[in-house]
Amino acid sequence: MQDKPGMVEVLRCGACGALDAGPREICPRCHQAALQRHAVAGEGTLLTWTVIRRPPAAFRAEGCYAVAVVELDAGVKVTGRLEAPEDVKGLGARVRLLRSKDGVATFRAA
Amino acid sequence: MREVAITGVGSTSFGKHEGRGLESLAVEAANGALKRAGVERKEIGAVYLGNFIAGPLSGQEVLAGIVADELGLENIPCTKVEGACASGGIAFRHAVLSVAAGLCDAALVVGVEKMTHASGGQVTQALNCAMDNRSDGPSGLTFPGLFGLAWRIHAAKYGTSRDEVSAVVIKNKANGLKNPLAQLGADLSPEIIRQSQPIADPIQLYDCCPVSDGAAAVIVVAKERARDAPDLPIDVLASVQTRGSPRIGGHQDIVSFDATVKAAERAYQAAGLRPSDIDLVELHDCFSMAEIIDSEDLGLIPRGLGAKWAAEGRTRVGGEIPINASGGLLAKGHPVGATGVGQLYETVLQLRGLHANQVKGAGIGMTHNLGGAGIACSVSILKRSDA
Repeated sequence: MQDKPGMVEVLRCGACGALDAGPREICPRCHQAALQRHAVAGEGTLLTWTVIRRPPAAFRAEGCYAVAVVELDAGVKVTGRLEAPEDVKGLGARVRLLRSKDGVATFRAA
Repeated sequence: MREVAITGVGSTSFGKHEGRGLESLAVEAANGALKRAGVERKEIGAVYLGNFIAGPLSGQEVLAGIVADELGLENIPCTKVEGACASGGIAFRHAVLSVAAGLCDAALVVGVEKMTHASGGQVTQALNCAMDNRSDGPSGLTFPGLFGLAWRIHAAKYGTSRDEVSAVVIKNKANGLKNPLAQLGADLSPEIIRQSQPIADPIQLYDCCPVSDGAAAVIVVAKERARDAPDLPIDVLASVQTRGSPRIGGHQDIVSFDATVKAAERAYQAAGLRPSDIDLVELHDCFSMAEIIDSEDLGLIPRGLGAKWAAEGRTRVGGEIPINASGGLLAKGHPVGATGVGQLYETVLQLRGLHANQVKGAGIGMTHNLGGAGIACSVSILKRSDA
């Protein structure tokens, strides 16, 4: 049995209930300024990933790192990091949240 | 709306212009175009200047006014247009609108960028201004990374291989060898590409366009004023601009960009044409995978077959739909704000039958300029005025 995964903070519209990865100012569905922070389970499907080997200046100190697009089970797509990409079996693999830092979620193979 | 045409065109070479500033490059290209415009300088009623990152890389803005002053133009509206990598194509559309609407009889479009004086990290950072930096940016994603993400999906969905993608690179690099304005033409093999440095897996060095300096310019005039021009006028059948999602999460998947799909649909409709009517296209191959996606989004190649058609030689000069006979961004270079105008320059030469890598019998050409993570797009369709 694995531990319960960590939670990923997204946005939920208090008016219509739409979820969005954010940040955003107003709800993309009903356009009300009613978006609130909302935590969803950090589990989902790996849509795609890459290894950034030439980072922009602001990320240079980190060396190489993998960036991934994950569709959370809540139905929200997030762009985050992927730890140990060699462990994922391919696109569509299950991933779960490893950590969140400065609003960026890092995932790894579930 | 009035019919409009392109008369004068001008361009610097694309590449490293050491010791030359943005203004110098823009004035060279624009002055070349003005000399062949067929209208007097005092008749130019508007300037639209495409530029993306003169602010962060050179500390210079208000370039449209500076360049117009150097050129001796009147006290006309001079506007800098920014739409990331699509800045030049969007500048052109605004000039077309001004003339078509009758606000002026002639307008100057110039695109310019100066990048090679900055370090690789500075350039990557500046280019990242084209992302939505509230969402995708904080992950450390780069633009090569975006097309690495797209590549894996394209490969999984359609079985696209490394060597099929390399066919795009080999073609454009070979086309670049024939273009005197190109920065980095080359005679490459699949092996050389496979052994090149990894940049953002699966993207390798040869899958990326170079960092470039350069400028290009075209003069747009009301069609009835085009007859005084010294060179064959080129009709503008359509010039369209669209928006797409600024964010990766906003795209259905990232092997298609809505902004391109919609721009192409509207351009074909405005021109009364179908994809099979297009004789050649200059499209936005900032990365090898970008050409594959663009060619499918423009309706020129069936979905999923972009790389396979390149591997079968169907997109080379002499093939069914020649793509980037100029060498494209991969070989000609990508001085960002100049690129879209450079595509128009190349297409005008093709339609006049004067290109160094001529597509035989070219009568109708398309240009496609895409910005950011698919947020901004412009598509134009041009035609020989005597065809």
